[in-house]
Amino acid sequence: MNYIFFVIKAAVEDFKRNKTQTFLTSLGILIGVFAVVMLTALGLGLKQYINDQFAALGKNTIFVVPGKILSGGSFNATSALASIKFDNRDLLRLKRLKEIKEISPIFSKQTTAKSEKKSEDSTILFASEAFFDINGFKIQKGRFFDKTDIDKKAKVIVLGPKIAEKLFGTVEAALDQKVAANSVNFIVIGITESKGGGGFGGPDYDSYMFSPYTTGFIFNPEKNYSRFAIKFDESYSVSQVKEAIKKELLKRYDEDSFSMIEPADILSAVNSIFGVLNMVLVAIASISLLVGGIGIMNIMFVTVSDKTKEIGVRRAIGARKKDILVQFIIESTILSIFGGFLGLFLAFLGTLITQRFFPAYIDVVSVILALGVSSAIGIVFGVFPAKKAADLEPVEAIRYE
Amino acid sequence: MIKFKNVWKIYKIDNEIEYIALRNINLEIKKGEFISVIGPSGSGKSTLMHLLGLLDKPTKGEILIEGRNIVNFNDGQLSSLRNEFVGFVFQQFNLIPKLTVLENILLPTIYTRKKLTYDPKKKALELIKRFGLGGKEYSYPNKISGGQQQRVAILRALIMEPKLILADEPTGNLDSKTGIEIMNLLKSLNEKEGITVVVVTHEADIAAYGKRIIRIKDGEIIKK
Repeated sequence: MNYIFFVIKAAVEDFKRNKTQTFLTSLGILIGVFAVVMLTALGLGLKQYINDQFAALGKNTIFVVPGKILSGGSFNATSALASIKFDNRDLLRLKRLKEIKEISPIFSKQTTAKSEKKSEDSTILFASEAFFDINGFKIQKGRFFDKTDIDKKAKVIVLGPKIAEKLFGTVEAALDQKVAANSVNFIVIGITESKGGGGFGGPDYDSYMFSPYTTGFIFNPEKNYSRFAIKFDESYSVSQVKEAIKKELLKRYDEDSFSMIEPADILSAVNSIFGVLNMVLVAIASISLLVGGIGIMNIMFVTVSDKTKEIGVRRAIGARKKDILVQFIIESTILSIFGGFLGLFLAFLGTLITQRFFPAYIDVVSVILALGVSSAIGIVFGVFPAKKAADLEPVEAIRYE
Repeated sequence: MIKFKNVWKIYKIDNEIEYIALRNINLEIKKGEFISVIGPSGSGKSTLMHLLGLLDKPTKGEILIEGRNIVNFNDGQLSSLRNEFVGFVFQQFNLIPKLTVLENILLPTIYTRKKLTYDPKKKALELIKRFGLGGKEYSYPNKISGGQQQRVAILRALIMEPKLILADEPTGNLDSKTGIEIMNLLKSLNEKEGITVVVVTHEADIAAYGKRIIRIKDGEIIKK
């Protein structure tokens, strides 16, 4: 206890004397720890964000798409070939399945949406009233379209908040206004709440417009659907539901011409991709930790030669080799942990700032890891200089001027 | 207490030229002696001092400390002896600048593996008072005078209750008045506490404090 106090006190007093040098030496570790913790925080935030996005889809959803998605956990695009198109017969057959609670056919139309003042490129998703529930949409202003609108083929449209703002300035101003798409006039009946997203390859629903699928047949005379969004009855398992859907569709199509996607599948695929990406980034950032460690080693070699006389004195009054070794290892470790703490502190600040516009958070594991790694670096890179100090012959050290 | 038997110290320069620092030294130091080792620079007195202080080992010969030949001692054993048996006093005081007076005096006690029969801090504070350093306990070495620093160094040597105090030019960095004070202090430690004192010097008037003077020249003792 007393012993450690003496060693730490001597080291800390040294650092106080050479504040600039101490800070510069710790800088490498500081930057390394900052980079690693910050990247981990961003990675965790991103993962959380994606999970939240998928959570909005709900647990009991399945999408049926044409073409084959190669299974196996990873995220592959549907094969461009072998594309069938679903139609109303499929919709009616699937609707009859007892496992399916809600179903929405979906097809889309790229268009230029025009308000009185502005025009903006956008996409209209044509779907049934069930679409909003299945995809976890919330209304901000007005209402979603309903069964009646579907039956009446009403020319109504629900806007995402971004497109609403682009066309009308504000969300409030958009309600009850007219939007023209390919010379068809729609009345804006609602604006959704922001779903966020769009930045990572997923659909940017905030910039989409939504309209009854029956109305959409104006643009789609063949009455084809590009996919189905399904919410199934919770009392059935995913595999039961998938089996039922498959059985029904196999009556018309062969096995390779359609696929079923669960959000959970995509989620795990996306998570694994970001997990790997994050690991690679952290590994690159770790290089700066290595560089920082070398910086510490360098300065410790300088310290050892500066303190040769002191080492001699300590040896003369009874310090063993081991005592000198411990002294210098503790010194380099303190230096490294000091940098680690500063880096952690900066990463903490950085995370607070980042949180304003991007999800990020520091977890306990990365804190422990950062401090553990920086102390390990102090020890590892301190060993060589400390060994040099300990191996000095007492008589050589004491003679040193 | 200490015996040198046919001790040689030979340095090899560039692995070729041999330089004989000490030539066949035979020497005995008895308990309670006050010895001055005098000689010009380069005479080998520093080498002798380093051997006495167990900082170095002889090339040939035996050094017996209380009957034990230390030539084959390992680092731990030698360190323990330096810690418990010898107290060093240096020309440049050699206090650790970032430790206070009290901490400097206590420094040997943190390295010891001997079970101390006293409370080191209490003893250090007592010594500080007794040797006129009261009030300087928490000062740093650069804030006190040279004479005071040398006294701190002597207290650092005393804290482990050594049998031998080894002083290497203890007055070399002090003015003559302070030098005399330090020499008188060493003398009284020898006379009142019975501690064996060896002073290495090149000044005759300092050497005169010794009850026995060993003259050394060209690596050999010329007069005991």
